[in-house]
Amino acid sequence: MKSPELYLLSRTNRPDSHTLDVFRRHEGYQALERVLKGGFSPQEVIGMVKDSGLRGRGGAGFPTGLKWSFMPDPEKDPRPRYLAVNADESEPGTCKDRVLLEKDPHGLIEGILIACYAMQVKTAYVYVRGEYRLPHDRVAKALAEARAAGWVGENILDSDFSCEICGEETGLMESLEGKRGHPRPKPPFPAGFGLWGQPTTVNNVETLHNVPFIILRGAEWYRSMGTEKSPGNILVGISGHVERPGVYEVPLGTSAQKILEDHAGGVWKGRKLKAWIPGGSSTGFLPGSQIGLSMDHDSLKEAGSMLGTAAMIMLDETACVVRAMQVMARFYDHESCGQCSQCREGTEWLSQIFRRIECGDGRVEDIDLLTSLANGMAPGKTICALADAAAIPTHSVVRHFRAELEAHVEQGRCPYLSNDQPSQATVGAHA
Amino acid sequence: MTKIIIDGQEVEADPHKPLIHACHGHGSDVPMYCYHPGLTPVGSCRICQVEVQQGEMPPRVVVACRTPVSEGMVVNTDAAGAHEARRQCLEFLLKNHPLDCPICDKAGECDLQDFSFAEGQGEGRSVEPRRKLEKRKSLGDVIVLDQERCILCSRCVRFFEDVTHKAQLTVAGMGARSVISTFADRPLTGNYQGNLADICPVGALTLKKFRFQARVWNLHKSFSTCGECSRGCSISVEVLRRREVKRLRPRYNPEVNRWWMCDTGRFSFDRFNRAGRLGAGLLAGRRGMEAVDRERALDEVGDILRVHAHNEVIASPWLTQEEGQELARLAQRLGVEPCFVSPPANDLEDDLLHTGDPSPNRRGLEELGFVGRTARELIETLAQRESALLVGERIGELLGAEGLASLPRSVRLMAIDTHPIEAPALRVLLGTPDASEREGTWVNVDGHVGRIASAKPAPEGVRVLCRDLVDLIERLEGQGQETLS
Repeated sequence: MKSPELYLLSRTNRPDSHTLDVFRRHEGYQALERVLKGGFSPQEVIGMVKDSGLRGRGGAGFPTGLKWSFMPDPEKDPRPRYLAVNADESEPGTCKDRVLLEKDPHGLIEGILIACYAMQVKTAYVYVRGEYRLPHDRVAKALAEARAAGWVGENILDSDFSCEICGEETGLMESLEGKRGHPRPKPPFPAGFGLWGQPTTVNNVETLHNVPFIILRGAEWYRSMGTEKSPGNILVGISGHVERPGVYEVPLGTSAQKILEDHAGGVWKGRKLKAWIPGGSSTGFLPGSQIGLSMDHDSLKEAGSMLGTAAMIMLDETACVVRAMQVMARFYDHESCGQCSQCREGTEWLSQIFRRIECGDGRVEDIDLLTSLANGMAPGKTICALADAAAIPTHSVVRHFRAELEAHVEQGRCPYLSNDQPSQATVGAHA
Repeated sequence: MTKIIIDGQEVEADPHKPLIHACHGHGSDVPMYCYHPGLTPVGSCRICQVEVQQGEMPPRVVVACRTPVSEGMVVNTDAAGAHEARRQCLEFLLKNHPLDCPICDKAGECDLQDFSFAEGQGEGRSVEPRRKLEKRKSLGDVIVLDQERCILCSRCVRFFEDVTHKAQLTVAGMGARSVISTFADRPLTGNYQGNLADICPVGALTLKKFRFQARVWNLHKSFSTCGECSRGCSISVEVLRRREVKRLRPRYNPEVNRWWMCDTGRFSFDRFNRAGRLGAGLLAGRRGMEAVDRERALDEVGDILRVHAHNEVIASPWLTQEEGQELARLAQRLGVEPCFVSPPANDLEDDLLHTGDPSPNRRGLEELGFVGRTARELIETLAQRESALLVGERIGELLGAEGLASLPRSVRLMAIDTHPIEAPALRVLLGTPDASEREGTWVNVDGHVGRIASAKPAPEGVRVLCRDLVDLIERLEGQGQETLS
């Protein structure tokens, strides 16, 4: 069988892949040229992206072309409009956009420019998380290069198309506006009322990276990879107890086992797989026996999980799922913005309970309480999905690893610790 | 208007307002914490869950404060799913709540208490230690913050952003570590801080002046109008044991003050509790002012007015329209032009409520033909009169003790006021009810009529001012008839 075609990471292993020179030598800005000089109308670009079946890579998997088509017609709605690029990946396990930002920043800029052309946007913001110093600097440098070379700014390639891209380091829409990063309730949706109340589309970095390739090679080529409902390749960040953790490009629908074995070199130290997370901490734990699942939106949904950001985390047979969950619960407690009652109090409560169970202070009734609390927090009970992100792994632990929770409660200690080891539960903010 | 169905009944809903507005208008008691009709909805507390069905879609539970109404929407505020969602939400809100209701000033009018009783479960399931935060953080001269009771609804934050347009509060910290805070711990400023205690749905923001003063269920509330400026905000006067006014709170009036009132008005109630009130009547005698009964005092006033030709009648701008009408009749009878003391504008004017004009019924009295004159002008005029009748609460204060004391004894001063006046020229002094003890109407700066209501009994021997005035008119008319016969 021939190995699948790579495009997302086609440039990243080349020396100086982040520079304009290297980028230009490897198909760089050709898609943009084709769009601007080939007489594509914005609608045709959106049509092509729709036909390709590209789904957002930020976690929700929403069809990108459809999202773009939600932007109001500029003839009828002449308000300024924006593209906000989410380069704030922050879910535990997720580190795929970082590779693209550091090693292929021009690929992102080209994707942004085509998206802006399609949605007739003149200003795009790239929201880079504060911790991403190098990625931020690389994007900023690439922007300066692209601007100097005329790829960004007024009348790009002597066309009518002008587009300005700004790098930002802190929050998303609220944060871009200089406010606290509090999620906003929907409706109104960003397409009608986004940044500064203007029509806005928010896209993930990897999503936009796909766009120039769709333009260059066609929707049909794109559909030849991946599955029918989830076409294309995806970046999988695999971490945890594996021999070769890293970010790999695979067609959607590749089995998790194949990724684990062929790319990551299998579970480390020759151990057995106990549990794994398919797409970042919020997609929850699956038992090791389900490693045969395909990595695409629908297969994982059917298995009661999600593709999320395809950030796979592997736990070997010596790992304690309760402890792993306790660390994740603490993350959600720490990251909750605190707006919604259920999330603010619930994430803290879950973290407290998991910590007690891991430390040996758990009660039998705590296990059902976990389920009950998670039901009170999600689904869809809060403004954003952070409460869901805490509830889903909680449900998964109770569903698949109830025996392990019970063993903690019965023994009054973590069974995975040897007798002379002190409790390893991480100390929370309220200890 | 959009037609929707709420709990089986067709309702016309305002399409520009969120669903919760229609629910409340229809009488469905959907709970709310972060939502306040006068503030931008944020949909963060998640308590106002109702079940909504649209078209063929299966019913779903949504927050009513962030759901727009749409034609044909079927709303069930009493659905099992909605109740369960609210119960869950309350359990989270109560997890770290100190439950110190027995010592909380809000108890009895606390939304957390009320909705927990209506929706919540009897027992908590948490065994975790409750959060320990600051329980008495001063936010300035007016407000104390109890961070433990706070449910972070952010109404207080939005009050300053949306109403006074000067942000002073924010949510500091993240997640479960969030607390309400002023910027850089600076004290709150401005004349509208007291509103925070009203809009706080729990006992987190309380008035320093009302802390531990009364249990709210012992307060008797009367609907009245504030008399501290010519805006005439609708208020509730709240009295403990029929004796002491414990607080004034704004009452919703879409045309005057909406939900708000200023602190000047809110904390003006000490005046209503001031001791040393005048009773029936006092007459100047050999041993100073001597107590007499009301009839005797009124006879004296009638006699003085009848005997002298150069009289003056001066009203307080706190007079109601009803009292003003009678006084105008009296003035007409005496053939003098009625006037009122017009106090100077103060520096409290703002673009929200306070007009800077301390006279609550200026417009009304002017409509009745009264002329406003300054205290100084009036004292100068009085010095040349044979007698003067000063009528209404605060009249002594408005004319000034010094000015009144300077008047020669040739001016026969007669006053109807709440508190004693000291002046050598004083002949008769009668007590009268203050604005918390009588009924009537004031006309505000924009022509809106505000009703004042009797919230507590007037001191013994004091009676309604209109009756005193009518009695005086009768005494003067009696004289007229005598002359005719």
